[in-house]
Amino acid sequence: MHTFYNFVSGPLTWIAFLLFFGGSFYRIVNMLFLVNKKEKFIFSYMSWRYSLRSIFHWIIPFATTNWRRQPVLTVITFAFHICLMATPIFLLSHVILWDESFSISWWTLPDVLADVMTIVVILGAIYFLVRRLSQPEVKYVTSASDYVILTIVAAPFVTGFLAYHQWFAYPLIMCLHVLAGNIMLAAIPFTRLSHMLFSPFTRAYMGSEFGGVRNARDW
Amino acid sequence: MPEPSKKEENEIVDEGIDVGVSRLTEDKIQSVINSVIDAETGARLKIYVDTCIHCGLCSDSCHYYLSHNNDPAYSPVGKVKQTIWEILKKKGRVSPEFIRNAAIIAYTQCNLCKRCAQYCPFGIDIAYLMLVVRRIMHKLGVTPLYIQDTAHSHSVTMNQMWVKGDEWPDTLQWQEEEAQTEIPNLRIPLEKEGADIMYSVIAPEPKFQAQLIYQTAIIMNVAGIDWTMPASVGWDNSDMAMYTGDNEIMGRLKRAHFETAERLKVKKIVMGECGHAFRSVYDMGNRWLGWSMPPFTIVHAIEFYHDIIKEGRIKIKKKFEQPITLHDPCNVVRGAGLHEKARYVAHAICEKVIEMHPNREHNYCCGAGGGVINTGPPFKMTRIEGNRIKAEQLFSAKTKGARVLIAPCHNCHSGLHDLVHHYEIGLDIKFFGDIIYEVMEKPELGREGK
Amino acid sequence: MRNIPLIALFFLIGIIVTINVGWAQEDMEVVDNSVFENHQRTPSVFFHDEHNENAGIDGCAECHHIYEKGERLEDESSEDQSCSDCHNLEGGDGQPSLIKAFHGNCKGCHLDEKKGPILCGECHVK
Repeated sequence: MHTFYNFVSGPLTWIAFLLFFGGSFYRIVNMLFLVNKKEKFIFSYMSWRYSLRSIFHWIIPFATTNWRRQPVLTVITFAFHICLMATPIFLLSHVILWDESFSISWWTLPDVLADVMTIVVILGAIYFLVRRLSQPEVKYVTSASDYVILTIVAAPFVTGFLAYHQWFAYPLIMCLHVLAGNIMLAAIPFTRLSHMLFSPFTRAYMGSEFGGVRNARDW
Repeated sequence: MPEPSKKEENEIVDEGIDVGVSRLTEDKIQSVINSVIDAETGARLKIYVDTCIHCGLCSDSCHYYLSHNNDPAYSPVGKVKQTIWEILKKKGRVSPEFIRNAAIIAYTQCNLCKRCAQYCPFGIDIAYLMLVVRRIMHKLGVTPLYIQDTAHSHSVTMNQMWVKGDEWPDTLQWQEEEAQTEIPNLRIPLEKEGADIMYSVIAPEPKFQAQLIYQTAIIMNVAGIDWTMPASVGWDNSDMAMYTGDNEIMGRLKRAHFETAERLKVKKIVMGECGHAFRSVYDMGNRWLGWSMPPFTIVHAIEFYHDIIKEGRIKIKKKFEQPITLHDPCNVVRGAGLHEKARYVAHAICEKVIEMHPNREHNYCCGAGGGVINTGPPFKMTRIEGNRIKAEQLFSAKTKGARVLIAPCHNCHSGLHDLVHHYEIGLDIKFFGDIIYEVMEKPELGREGK
Repeated sequence: MRNIPLIALFFLIGIIVTINVGWAQEDMEVVDNSVFENHQRTPSVFFHDEHNENAGIDGCAECHHIYEKGERLEDESSEDQSCSDCHNLEGGDGQPSLIKAFHGNCKGCHLDEKKGPILCGECHVK
């Protein structure tokens, strides 16, 4: 167990973080190079004011027409994404590991709250799964990759939840948890999870076009 | 998973598409597709496709989807799936039959209205993706016959309607003479160098609706505008090449238009009540020519009317009595934000304005724009059945008392006319110009002359 | 009399809980965590004598160390003090916080020795 755990939490985690940061950097720089090479005009339309105006509307629940039209989805997707990002970053056990390895630490969530947030992520993932399977307009455009990325995202939380409660084979679950977290990190830049990286850019461009050229709201 | 049946498409016969498809092989398709994708697309196409999380949230924005009882094949992302996703997945190696279906989707089941861009949480520009598909279809020679005919006309005559060189000044002279029965000293100034305004129209005006030029001449005259119209090519601001994917011709047309204004040394271009022409001059054609914004101040008729009413250049004698409802054309509302100015004009000239919902930049498209009406009779029912939701919207405005529908855009006008007729809604459709002409104060002399 | 199964169930649960608590009190030893006001985890399981016997630890200073100016004093030990006498909750002045000191002392040694628990839940048993 020592060997396996040390492997997943050591070299594998290094690789995952390298792929995540390196990959994210590569994808964004690559995009900017491509814009510069083939669609340079995009830069001339970009506007900080209209980009931020658009982004702010879309990152606030119910601030856009479509969020208001889909109240259930809006509540769930915001809760899901907030918990998805905040839980791993502010989880006590994770911060303790950062402290032990690099002597850096920051504010942490109470474990009970983190537990609830994990459940929110898992329930959110289940909601998205059900939505994919049951809503015709979603099902129609769903491919295998959609289930794969949903699984990639849900896995660290399911295993983390089981590990925290020490259900089933704890040491094994714990190792799977680390593995699942690493897979998710590494997958972000190279799958459609990259919407985490690109959505601010696509939003900003559409916001700039609507604000600067079209004089209309894009929300 | 059962794919929704789209039987009706196979029954449609469009010679432009079908003959084009019959000439294709998979090799040819692949090489054309890849040449377009390699040479003409970049980060946008790649990032849009990589970022889409397949959530389906764009669906509710689309009038085709809503009008087909939420058939997912008509949702914006559903149309992307059936076209560009598959093209990219197969690296361009798709069958002629696939191309046929993709052409029908891109040309006739999307008005490029960009409403979906307002509903996608990521702001993915689905209309752009459909334009990429149209560009591919153009290069493959698979374009609907009727709209391709207008593109040919643009190419040969520099106007959309095969209006011959002498027919244009003849029509203007004819309308000038007609208008002189009302205002004897009225002129339609041709080629007046240094005028404040060059007025440009779409070719269907001289071809079928010359009375619109007559009305404009009266309004210009009463408002005391220093205006002119060109006698040569460049008078037509319309652009169907933009919608077939023929960007090169789009560029030629817009260059001729801008250069004509430059030659006449005017301060700005005022254009008639047309939406697509505005898009071509203000958004797409100028970009093709390398202008991030148009090289001339472009004033759409809505804004022009707004200005002359606000400045008191024309006075309203008696407001239009019948209650009206106002359609927001995509290309000048979602495309240029003229919705409040349109309301200012509507309230200034009409007793009662009844809003339809959704409105302003969230309006439903008329179903005719984006060149769809120009694909002609084979796809008339695609357009009408694909916009039942607009008919319901119009009907609801009517039940609130509206009797007249103002549609300040040619394509909207014609498309809404078909909807009103087919769904038996019973609304009169008018341009702003029709009503302004009717309710404005005109010189007494002119009235005696009539 | 439909309630009989229900009452029986409550009894059963009661018995299990009692036995469990009894066992725990009798056999379990844990690290004293009373200094942590708002502790998030259960106190770490630790059988002092059994652990040292298994690990072959003779000297107290092996764990109950004393540092001076960053140097570990080989022949002095601190078993007469509480860990929290030196390691406060926040840490500082080159002194690890109490949590970090505990983790470093136990887990650090386990990692070095490639023996013993290293995962959170192996010590903080639920």
